[in-house]
Amino acid sequence: MNTLGFKHAMAAHCESGTVSSILSHAGLQISEPMVFGISGGIFFGYFESKKFPFPTFVVRNRPGQIRTNLAKRTGAKFAERRFGDPAKGERELNGLLARGVPVACQTDFFYMNYLPNHVRVHINVHFIIVVKRNGDNYIVSDCYSPSLSEIDRDSLMKARFAGGSFAPRGFLFYPKFLPGNIDYEKSIWKGIRSASFMMVKLPMPFLGVKGIRLFAKKVTDWPKLARDTEHLSHEIMKINIFLEDQGTGGAGFRFMYATFLREASELLNDPDLLGMSKRIMEIGDRWREISLFAARIGKRRDLGPDRLRELGSMIAARADEEEIFFRDLLALSKER
Amino acid sequence: MKEKEARVDYLDHQLVLYVEKKDGSYGPLRTGSYITKNYLDDYWLKRRNLEKEYLGKVTGGEISPIAYYMVLEELTPSELAARVKIPERKVRKHLAPATFGSVTVDELRRYCEVFSVPLSSMLHALVIKGKNVSIREAKTNNPYFTMMKIEAGKK
Repeated sequence: MNTLGFKHAMAAHCESGTVSSILSHAGLQISEPMVFGISGGIFFGYFESKKFPFPTFVVRNRPGQIRTNLAKRTGAKFAERRFGDPAKGERELNGLLARGVPVACQTDFFYMNYLPNHVRVHINVHFIIVVKRNGDNYIVSDCYSPSLSEIDRDSLMKARFAGGSFAPRGFLFYPKFLPGNIDYEKSIWKGIRSASFMMVKLPMPFLGVKGIRLFAKKVTDWPKLARDTEHLSHEIMKINIFLEDQGTGGAGFRFMYATFLREASELLNDPDLLGMSKRIMEIGDRWREISLFAARIGKRRDLGPDRLRELGSMIAARADEEEIFFRDLLALSKER
Repeated sequence: MKEKEARVDYLDHQLVLYVEKKDGSYGPLRTGSYITKNYLDDYWLKRRNLEKEYLGKVTGGEISPIAYYMVLEELTPSELAARVKIPERKVRKHLAPATFGSVTVDELRRYCEVFSVPLSSMLHALVIKGKNVSIREAKTNNPYFTMMKIEAGKK
């Protein structure tokens, strides 16, 4: 398959992986953890909203911020467009592909029909790179697929122009300027400072470590919100999916963040960052215990009040650890 | 997490985890999905039970087919309204069998686009008795008309 030299690579997360991949293709070699860390990607938020059928949580910053924060902090520039008219959006994409430009597109994950059925849900913040046209189909590089995939025009159009929360409106982007010399020291510390600030300084009770504590408290009330035991089991097991399988690199991005801090410590020759890297890796290990615990009790339907309190206390302990960790990291960033 | 703890032998669902490698460095590892390998059967069991329960509600006249697909796809009336591009109060009206009839064919087509199901599935359910029967609905150039192909003796 001729894909104009585009090198497909799997990545942990669709947005950080797509940004890393499209920048690398354009000539700026930057790893996925470095993209994630500089953009201040690590986060936590617990949400109950009429947009969601059940309470949910996020473990990363707002969709799109990985790209915008990275651009702001490194000096890279992306050409970006949204479209009111789907036909215009399709023409623009086709025009760019005809010129040999791989294009990153925001899509509804549900229509990525080359992925297994059980993973595909309606979520409008999935990023892929469209590499070329192949008749009526498109060749796409999706970080979650082991190889380049093919998608039909109808599905891609539906995915690019789905309505609802975070509607993509055909959003596409590609690099238009790469800085010759990135000040990594400055951009890394900016990323660290902003992520630490968001984790420990935001006043809202559902964001950062406060959000983890709220999650710990609220999870014991989930039985009241579930239709029945099977529904509760499904929602509890989704904790595992959100932390491990839904593009986090494991432990709700904590392992990827540890990798970023390790890479940063080597690049900046900073032993303090190496120490912080080890600490967040260990915290990640304990998040993974939560994932495995949630999967196990969900499968066994062992979801009584005592078990959920146990789950809640495990989550609360992560909040305590992360509060200390991110306060230390914020203090370190202020010294630099 | 150590590399050996992260390794899951499951080719059908691969993903990338960041791990501590044997040499102490941190980096990506392509591996299988732990939850898919160990718990996918449980997911499908729950899904089948949910489909059965809610199909019973549709046939029992408790909910409309739109409500059935909305629950299966884990959408809320508010999110569904935004996706179909109609007011939420209209969606709520379409969820009840008594007022489902007020839906227009065009609105129904848009619901089907969201659920990725053929238009006809809003008005009937196919129950297959027997093995090796293949049923496929193919789109035509007419957005309101699909072709259903039923072939016996196919896996």
